[in-house]
Amino acid sequence: MPETALASVDLKKVYHSRGAPAVEALRGVTMDVRRGERVALLGRNGAGKTTFLKIASTLLKPTSGSVELFGIDVVAAPDKARPYIAVVPQEGKPFFHLCPREQVYTYLRARGIGRESAKARTEESLERMGLTEVADRLSITLSGGQRQRTMVATVIATEAPLLFLDEPTIGMDPFARRDVWASLRSLTQKGSTILLTTHYLDEAEVLSHRLYIVENGQVLVSGTADDLKRSVGGTLKVTLPNGASQVERFRSFGECVTDGSGVTVIVQPHRLGELMDLAVKSNLTATVGPVTLEEAFLRAVGRSIDEE
Amino acid sequence: MRNEVLPAPVRAFAGTRAFLWTEVLVQKNERLAMATSMVVQSVILVFVYILNPGLLGVAFVGAIIFSTFTMGQRVLNEAAYLRIDHKSIDFYLAGPMTPEAYFLGMSFGILVVYIPPLIVFGVLATFIVPLTVATGLLLLGLAATVWVFAASLGYVFSTFFRDNRAIWAYSSLFFNVFGVLVPVFYPLGLFPEVLRPIVLLMPPSAAAALVQSAIGVTSLTGGEVALAVGGLAVETVAMFLVAIYWARRTVRGD
Repeated sequence: MPETALASVDLKKVYHSRGAPAVEALRGVTMDVRRGERVALLGRNGAGKTTFLKIASTLLKPTSGSVELFGIDVVAAPDKARPYIAVVPQEGKPFFHLCPREQVYTYLRARGIGRESAKARTEESLERMGLTEVADRLSITLSGGQRQRTMVATVIATEAPLLFLDEPTIGMDPFARRDVWASLRSLTQKGSTILLTTHYLDEAEVLSHRLYIVENGQVLVSGTADDLKRSVGGTLKVTLPNGASQVERFRSFGECVTDGSGVTVIVQPHRLGELMDLAVKSNLTATVGPVTLEEAFLRAVGRSIDEE
Repeated sequence: MRNEVLPAPVRAFAGTRAFLWTEVLVQKNERLAMATSMVVQSVILVFVYILNPGLLGVAFVGAIIFSTFTMGQRVLNEAAYLRIDHKSIDFYLAGPMTPEAYFLGMSFGILVVYIPPLIVFGVLATFIVPLTVATGLLLLGLAATVWVFAASLGYVFSTFFRDNRAIWAYSSLFFNVFGVLVPVFYPLGLFPEVLRPIVLLMPPSAAAALVQSAIGVTSLTGGEVALAVGGLAVETVAMFLVAIYWARRTVRGD
């Protein structure tokens, strides 16, 4: 099996609909995912993450450009690529009139997995996702988070070489999210490759080996979470809630990002003391913390990930 | 990573069997829906019994054919609901399961689940309709043909909708008009003669007319038999091939 699990080159997608202007969802996305990697597409709603995932997982035709999965062209030969993939679709739901145990098992059987293996993998996956107690309850009686866990459990159980997960932890509580992260890590240790979309910055940082920040159908930056944080220009951030009106006084310390009446200054540790003195002299309260992916995202996109 | 890529025909068979079983489990867990599959036919049979008991035999033949025809409506509703609300196409078909297996598994699964109502009507029919082994087999064969046509039609139609609420209205209208209004539950002879060629080209009424002719309730000319048999055969084969083609085509959107 080739070392490159996914490679897309100059991928473009334009949606046309009658009576409405064309929408450019992807504007030349080039990216690659190596075998065994966990890669996150990070972006705001409407950035093009799901469109990319749909094209890469053979569910949508691109307008131009190419995507290969393990060297197979998904546009020309989707049937050849499909046996290697599994997808958790955005807003997908398990069958309401199946219980999680039936859902996972029948899905594995539908993929051609043998009876005994399907049974074993079902139990393993349900346990890993903390669903054992509700495994025999109809999905219609489960909470939204439990249903989403059922979807993830189903796809994880396939152990497919390449998994596409579109917002896999949406609606889950923090404990369940950690279960998903652990399961995904374990899968990649066994050799699977994972491409996920998320707009949870912590998830992207904790889970992915590399990430791509996407905005307006384009990849703006890519790299490890540390690479992206380093690109911000400092390792500490000082937040001054009422400092926007005095932003010019802080520009010499590093990059300043205003947000309403507040300002965040990115600073190197050796200049922190000087900056704090200035804040006190200016009668401003200040909070110090490490630079996070949020600052990297803000710097790349110019807007917060939650901003509509 | 434990992934073995099976040959396409093996995957198609495994997928069909597994999705059939999935549908059986789903429908089994929704028993009320099974009961509702008999409601329309039962109500019509009661009306016929009250208004003209002499037509009860024909109505029972109609109930059996109508049952297999309305399985198309079940396929339509199920396929559309799962695609729109559950994203099942993305979930099942971005993987080794073939589109044909998905369509066939769903259609067979719904057939298996709705066989009990068919058995009830079938058993009652043997007491009321003058069926011989030959006419019984003819009825079974024609009902199965209507099922193939209706399931294929239902699956193709299901792909045109984006909203479930629209589907419920249109599917109900379509399947009731072409299953009730035309001579399925009543003899073809009661239908305006000038319109007979049209209803003989509609699978449910064509199948009903052929059984009615076989049990001596309706007389068909040689041309009418040819029209009904030919039309039913061509339409069923064509609709099935369209459904297989369409199942493949609709996996990937434009």
